[in-house]
Amino acid sequence: MNLRYLTPVISIAASLVFVGIMLAVMGINPVEAYTVMFTRSFGSKFGIAELFVKTTPLILTGLAVAIPLRAGLWNIGAEGQLYMGAFAASVVALKMPLPDLLILPTMFLASALMGMAWAAIPGFLKAKFDLNEIISTLLLNYVAIHWVEYMVYGPLRGKEVYNFPFSDLFSDAATLPRFFGTRFHFGVFIAILIAFIVYYILTKTDFGFSVRVVGANPRAAEYAGISRERVIIYTMLFGGALAGIAGMIEVSGIQLRLRPAISTGYGYAGIPVALLASGNPILVMLSAALFGFLYVGGSALQTTYSVPVAVVYVFQALIVLFIIGGNSLIQRRG
Amino acid sequence: METLLELRNIVKRFGDVIANDHVNLEVRKGEIHGLLGENGAGKTTLMNVLYGIYQPDEGEIIFEGKKVRFKSPKDAISAGIGMVHQHFMLVPRMNVLQNLVLGYRTPSDPLVDVRWVEEKVRKLSRRYGIDIALYEVVMNLSVGEEQRVEILKALFRDVKLLILDEPTAVLTPKEVETLFSALKAMTKSGLTIIFITHKLKEALSVTDRITVLRKGKNVGTVETKKTNERELARMMIGREVVMDIQKPKIEFGSEILKVQDLWVKDDRGQDAVKGVSFSIRSGEIFGVAGVSGNGQKELEEAIAGLRKPFRGKIALDGKDITNLGVAGRKDIAYIPEDRIGVGLAPSLSVMENLFMKDFKNFKKGLTLDFKSMEEEARKLIEEFSVKTPSVHAPASTLSGGNIQRLILAREFSRNPKVIIASQPTRGLDVAGIDYVRRRLIESAEKGCAVLLISEDLDEIFQLSDRIAVMYEGEIRGIIPREKADYETVGYLMAGGMEVAA
Repeated sequence: MNLRYLTPVISIAASLVFVGIMLAVMGINPVEAYTVMFTRSFGSKFGIAELFVKTTPLILTGLAVAIPLRAGLWNIGAEGQLYMGAFAASVVALKMPLPDLLILPTMFLASALMGMAWAAIPGFLKAKFDLNEIISTLLLNYVAIHWVEYMVYGPLRGKEVYNFPFSDLFSDAATLPRFFGTRFHFGVFIAILIAFIVYYILTKTDFGFSVRVVGANPRAAEYAGISRERVIIYTMLFGGALAGIAGMIEVSGIQLRLRPAISTGYGYAGIPVALLASGNPILVMLSAALFGFLYVGGSALQTTYSVPVAVVYVFQALIVLFIIGGNSLIQRRG
Repeated sequence: METLLELRNIVKRFGDVIANDHVNLEVRKGEIHGLLGENGAGKTTLMNVLYGIYQPDEGEIIFEGKKVRFKSPKDAISAGIGMVHQHFMLVPRMNVLQNLVLGYRTPSDPLVDVRWVEEKVRKLSRRYGIDIALYEVVMNLSVGEEQRVEILKALFRDVKLLILDEPTAVLTPKEVETLFSALKAMTKSGLTIIFITHKLKEALSVTDRITVLRKGKNVGTVETKKTNERELARMMIGREVVMDIQKPKIEFGSEILKVQDLWVKDDRGQDAVKGVSFSIRSGEIFGVAGVSGNGQKELEEAIAGLRKPFRGKIALDGKDITNLGVAGRKDIAYIPEDRIGVGLAPSLSVMENLFMKDFKNFKKGLTLDFKSMEEEARKLIEEFSVKTPSVHAPASTLSGGNIQRLILAREFSRNPKVIIASQPTRGLDVAGIDYVRRRLIESAEKGCAVLLISEDLDEIFQLSDRIAVMYEGEIRGIIPREKADYETVGYLMAGGMEVAA
């Protein structure tokens, strides 16, 4: 029983040790390196603001993975759903003549709907034909990423960008308000609010109840008259919407335009975020913060020691491996 | 007779649970030694310790006068101990000969010396009277034949002691008889057998001596000739239980469930139910006897709404329900055979499992009213005496008997008109069996139509008003209880043709 709660802690510690060894091999004192990561993240108002900025999309993609995970589904497609959400929000921001006050809400809705639509494809295929959702969500990521690339090289390329593959900058009305003279933006609050709403829906409502039953034992769900197909589709739609919103927040809060590589793997990082939190929406915020710290600390390492930022991905991968390994060990013992 | 095997003070713990508590067992050469006990009494654990699957925490094993330690079943086999598990471990796509030599080195290793194997099997067959077609693919064998292959596999490895773990659970009465005479023949040729069972009748009919385990402890060893069912039952459960349940006379009401010419396919797309028709009236218990795998599962799932029939009609209270899903058949309660795989979500709490079907009734505004759900859950576990530390404990922490009580609590509290009970007492201990059967009778008294599907003939005869036998997807005769006898039903179960009722 207690092992279950220990797994995440042990996984984090073990990953820290392994990355430390890696750093040492590269000739960097791991203790110093970790100290740099810490001071740069927590040492200043800018560091802390960056921490929030990086944590925000991770909360949303973490939830985008966690919700289907509760029903026993692997949504590897949060990255693609995020891109499609960013794309939809950008179209609204750049092309739709709307009153200023309506622009942000419309972008929000458009991104959620687009993310949903993107997740609906694998959800539907899984529910109706039992097509493996891991493969379909993963492959759709590439489609989405290249779609955005095509858009910024072509139809959405800006007039004032000197041939760079960018869209024009969004108008102020399409930009999320920022605070404290940092990049800390309104999206942070949106993500936290959404996490609480998801928690409420999953634990208190009848929908959450059916998701729990399907996740715990799909055959029992069928036996109890709960439609497994419906739960599969709804959880995928729900997750897709949140990843789409993450995309909108990235373009209107940070990038302020559509461009390629708007996400540095936030969608994929959502997987370890959700796993580390074992699907609990409140804990997702904590594990997202941990990964946000890794992103901020990782770029600090990059500037200080010129270590590639890939260290962050190594860390992510290690955490996933340790958690999966730990869980299977627990199961075998039980 | 000399002693072949001695277990001394065997202790095996799993965490805080003691599965074997200083157990002693002495088995003599050439006897059939019964190991009797309720489920969870520690029989299988003890044999797994002997067979090298588990290591004992304390105690010693003496085999043929020498102290031994088996690190794995491989050690046990090479010492001369074989075990046939409840679930067979054969490769379905291979033939019998290939299964026999799997993991065995014939003299011409690495090639398989087929002649040599044939010769050896012929000798074994002659000696022990087991007959088996060597080149038949295991997939095409009946369960009884598969079991014979398993036994032969052990004999092929020249075992001196053969452990059989509840070997009759999957057999028809006829096959049980064949098995028993084969076992007796084997002991005449010098083989020693340990026979694990929780059925008193079997222990009495086939063994020479019986050791009874209760709650991990050895209660005693008795000579089969000098004991009887009552004494054994008392040893097994520690008190006298009245095994006879008196079923009161119930007046039947109107026809509740009507099944007409029902055809259902199984998962592989084969016809599993072939034109079954019957009807059950209010207050009636309709028993379906038959060996598992003859279409019972598909039949019950079709009635419960989990599986679509491709022809035929199901009517409840006169209304056609053939095309409704599970959610549209609220008046049907279903106690599935696979309680943990289908009837429960083991990782969810007792409360969540209790309201897996009816949680929507607790909807209050946007959310579920967990407070009243909890209250309701407490009432139910009280009423059905489900033993659990709390309503929030995961269902997986409950014992087998309490899991069944939990399912009964959920299904019966929904005030069903029809109850489908599939193998409702399989694997339960005597007290659990007693409880479930009384509850089923009670429900019939309240006016339910009960469809009882069971392999246990005692159960079928004890509860049913009419008995149907299912064989290869068909109902081979429906017999009123007072005209039915074990022979006829057993004969039909084994594929005998329809008899005039």
